[in-house]
Amino acid sequence: MNTDDSSWWPMGDGVLCNAASQTYPSCNTFTHALSFFNKIEGSQATARQTAELLRSVISQQRVPYTNQAGALIDAVKAIGEQLIAANPVELAVGNIVRRVLHIIREEDLSLTTAAIGGLNLSAVSDDENDDDRDGDSTLSAAAVAAAARSTLRPPSLQTLLEDTPVSAAVPQTSSSGGDSEGKSKFSFTAADKSSRSRKLKHDVIEAVNELIQDIVTCHEQIAEQAVEHIHQNEVILTLGSSRTVLEFLFAAKEKKRSFRVFVAEGAPRYQGHLLAKELVARGLQTTLITDSAVFAMISRVNMVIVGAHAVMANGGVIAPVGMNLVALAAQKHAVPFVVLAGSHKLCPLYPHNPEVLLNELRSPSELLDFGEFSDCMDFGSGSGSPLLHVVNPAFDYVPPKLVSLFITDAGGHNPSYMYRLIADYYSADDLVVQRRATAGN
Amino acid sequence: MQFDDQGRVNKSKKRAVFNQPEAKNRVELFRHLPQYEHGSQLTDLESKFLELDSMHPAVYKVGVQYLAGDVTGGNARCIAMLRAFQEVINDYSTPPGKTLVRDLTAKISSYVSFLIECRPLSMSMGNAIRFQKSRIAKLPLTLSETEAKAALCNDIDRFINEKIILADKVIVRHAATKVRDGDVLLTYGSSCVVEMILLYAHELGKQFRVVVVDSRPKHEGQALLRRLLAKGLSCTYTHINAVSYIMHEVTRVFLGASSVLSNGTTYSRVGTACVAMVAHAFRVPVLICCEAYKFHERVQLDSICSNELGDSNDIARVPGRPDVNSMDNRTNEKNLQFLNLMYDATPSEYVSMIITDYGMIPPTSVPVIVREYRREYLLI
Repeated sequence: MNTDDSSWWPMGDGVLCNAASQTYPSCNTFTHALSFFNKIEGSQATARQTAELLRSVISQQRVPYTNQAGALIDAVKAIGEQLIAANPVELAVGNIVRRVLHIIREEDLSLTTAAIGGLNLSAVSDDENDDDRDGDSTLSAAAVAAAARSTLRPPSLQTLLEDTPVSAAVPQTSSSGGDSEGKSKFSFTAADKSSRSRKLKHDVIEAVNELIQDIVTCHEQIAEQAVEHIHQNEVILTLGSSRTVLEFLFAAKEKKRSFRVFVAEGAPRYQGHLLAKELVARGLQTTLITDSAVFAMISRVNMVIVGAHAVMANGGVIAPVGMNLVALAAQKHAVPFVVLAGSHKLCPLYPHNPEVLLNELRSPSELLDFGEFSDCMDFGSGSGSPLLHVVNPAFDYVPPKLVSLFITDAGGHNPSYMYRLIADYYSADDLVVQRRATAGN
Repeated sequence: MQFDDQGRVNKSKKRAVFNQPEAKNRVELFRHLPQYEHGSQLTDLESKFLELDSMHPAVYKVGVQYLAGDVTGGNARCIAMLRAFQEVINDYSTPPGKTLVRDLTAKISSYVSFLIECRPLSMSMGNAIRFQKSRIAKLPLTLSETEAKAALCNDIDRFINEKIILADKVIVRHAATKVRDGDVLLTYGSSCVVEMILLYAHELGKQFRVVVVDSRPKHEGQALLRRLLAKGLSCTYTHINAVSYIMHEVTRVFLGASSVLSNGTTYSRVGTACVAMVAHAFRVPVLICCEAYKFHERVQLDSICSNELGDSNDIARVPGRPDVNSMDNRTNEKNLQFLNLMYDATPSEYVSMIITDYGMIPPTSVPVIVREYRREYLLI
């Protein structure tokens, strides 16, 4: 590991950390909070905290001369692995880790393009023969093209062979040409390299700041689209409570649309009660119904608007339990089912067996009082297998064919389009967040 | 009766036996149905106990039981009402100058309107009352009073025996053939017929497991769960939102019904339609178990035109959740309404089969039975 002082500078916190042990105290507390205490509730808060944590990791990370991007990516992957393992059901954590990795790759690519373009211009002033110059220009063009291809396309044999354009390109240009020119060029490239690495970290941190800003303001951007979808005298149905839905409805109310809302209470958390309270405080006509009455009432509803816990790559939705019921009823009565989700909820994974793998089973005490059936639920009595099992899942999977529209902070989309957004936000290399044992990339 | 018609409402209030304050925050969509404040009804009725000379104590007792919710379920309510009518008939004596037929019919009608005030009639009760009145009307004029009374009581006994008790036995025999070893049976709420089926199949020695789905506000499934566990059945308990999660394990769904209407729609406890819809989406057969006396020639397309509204406080208050219950003092806020539906209508395409005492029929055969076999009421 390069301990060159030119690659280390204070950034914000000014806390030095031991590169060998790679301990980040803030990371450990965050991981603990995620896995054990569930203190951080809600995808938005989780996403924001993850992004801030990764920002501090990046700023504290010491990067070597060559392959800074690789070092940053390794560091983020190491932390990201721990964060994802702490709470696999909270998909927003994995999403943000992958977003940051994508940011690092993108910033690196743009810097490479700019740097190689800059090198080309400065090389003209040197006294070199034409062959070298031609070699430089063709190499830089090829390097740029290769870098561009490798970051945006899935790995293939071609991209694997051109895998390290960054680290390969710079030493080659420095080795071509005579000694004096080489030395001057070497010193130039050295200065250029350090300024480039400084710039990389700086750019990455700026981009992560933008990401945090996007996460924080996603509600406003979604709420701006409310007026396009809600007309006068509309009847809207929702289940449980979602802050995005709340802001959405408020925005429509601000624009003087009058509409009524049916809120299903969303057992066993009963968050629908809280949502109804907030809606009534703002002057909206609200009716609170039980979840069992959803089918009875949906024939008189114009639109169903709900929030989501996560949106998967196929357009499927992981939502609070009971949502599949509402989606099926809406399909039967041809009522549009609209899902509001910030872009930090978009997950690049495909849901395989989501009812089991992406679900969380909560305590039976939310359904039954502890004292009543405790003898039947006891594993110790009789043959060792209890007579009574209580099932209390926290999430539900809604398949993409039941969803009419996704409204994200990037606009409204069909479920069949969601996989394209993934190409914008994530890199194909990052789908499995695992630190690779080999050095290189 | 139309509760959105103010004239009729005022007229019925004058005839009413006890006071029922109307709910302040009525849901607009249900203006045609009665919505009352449930808090003071029971105490009001109990305080009137000594004032009601015209009310037979047996009918009064049944009314109080309905209002308090002690007697629930179509069969139980129907049997309670008919037994009360038996006592009424036994204690009845024709006043001078009146005929038995007309006077008794008028008395029964007044008792029925009292019971409606306590709780709106279920379809099973409506059919039983129609049977009763037709029996009274068909009494031969040559009978003496004691003979007429004995004949009427006999008719009631036969009705209860044939249409309810024996019918249940036949249904249980039929349905038990549909339970195989290794089955996972799902049921919703608490239906007495489905409970009998499960216990009978268990006695026959079939190996199966039961999933009990429950919902707010009544949590009727918990009582069923207790009784099943006492008999040693292995059960899973969940709430209605988790039905999509559990449905992939389920092989059959058994549901009870308050009534089956002539267009094949099943009218039963709210939430049944949701369970049937999810079962249909997962291709699990849905079997409705319903005695034939509950069939009705009415037709209904949705759950709104005709329904029953319960206590809105049951929705506002969640027992054991103080963080949510800060809503409680807001029941009278202008913009907020609570809707406590009791019934809903399940479309016929979600139902695979209806098991009745006439056999196992598809939902499309219900109007046939209503038309062909109802005549036997009149031919007895």
